[in-house]
Amino acid sequence: MVRRRRERGYSLLEVTVMLGAFAAVLAIFFIATAEMRQWEKRLPINFMRHPQVSAVIARMRRDVVSAQAPDPYEPEFGGFTMSSKTLILRTIVPSGGLQTVVWDFSEPGVARRHAYTSTLKESVWTARGLPNDFSSEVKLDAVEFDDRPYGVRITAKDSNGRIAIDQILQPRAHD
Amino acid sequence: MGRGEYQTPHYNAAMRDERGFTLPEVLAALVVLTIIITVSFAAFLERNNRLQQAAEIMLAYQALANEAEYQRRIQYTLLIDDTESSDTDSSGSEFRSDTKLLEPLGDYGTSVKVNTVQPGVRNVTMTVRWRNGERIARLTLVRVDTGGLRLW
Repeated sequence: MVRRRRERGYSLLEVTVMLGAFAAVLAIFFIATAEMRQWEKRLPINFMRHPQVSAVIARMRRDVVSAQAPDPYEPEFGGFTMSSKTLILRTIVPSGGLQTVVWDFSEPGVARRHAYTSTLKESVWTARGLPNDFSSEVKLDAVEFDDRPYGVRITAKDSNGRIAIDQILQPRAHD
Repeated sequence: MGRGEYQTPHYNAAMRDERGFTLPEVLAALVVLTIIITVSFAAFLERNNRLQQAAEIMLAYQALANEAEYQRRIQYTLLIDDTESSDTDSSGSEFRSDTKLLEPLGDYGTSVKVNTVQPGVRNVTMTVRWRNGERIARLTLVRVDTGGLRLW
């Protein structure tokens, strides 16, 4: 035998309390998310999370730190000209020899490191798949220090024009 | 809608065995759902906080590394020990390097403090503070008196 039961549903108070609790939870989620988004918008893209970008910076740092002071830079070499997208410098390699290294950022999405011993091209290291906004905005500049060789300043902005990378690399003393 | 509309034979037949859930059942289900959503959301927020923190620290340490390049180049004799300074409340000098990079951190502060560890050795401590001083990134450089040798 089927037992019949009187359908009552929920009272207005019950539904209101439940909706109130639900609205409070939603409000907490919304406030927390909005605050998070606000901070995210303020910060530039973290290019250094990209393995190719961090590899390029690390290799360039090594080249500059090991550069042959006091004047390691060349205005022109191997068909390249020093510019905001091209860095030419003489650097000391782990074997103790001297190489001329050209860093070339002229092609979008790609960075190339050309290494020459004397005038003979020895190797080309290529970093592909760089973020477009990084490779289009990356800029090389000189930093002046009193009585010291120029340093290299590498800057890059993200697509919103915020500075995401600003690093000063300085040749170290070595005999 | 009048109550009479529910009295049709078809509706009664369909609803005969329908009991629905009791309020405690629905509440218990909602509690479980709320716990799951809250935990998931908390994990999501924590992940984003960590990513944001990493991005902030990346900016701060770029600024610290840049300042270190400047502090490394200052003559040892020109590094004034803050404890010897006449200003007893000295909080150190500000960064010499360009700190435009730190602007996304909002209100930030930079300071450079020098203290003598032993004769001929000074620590140069560079600090970046942001979020009202809640977040701090610090880098200490050890400078040694080489007697003025340029090493070039």
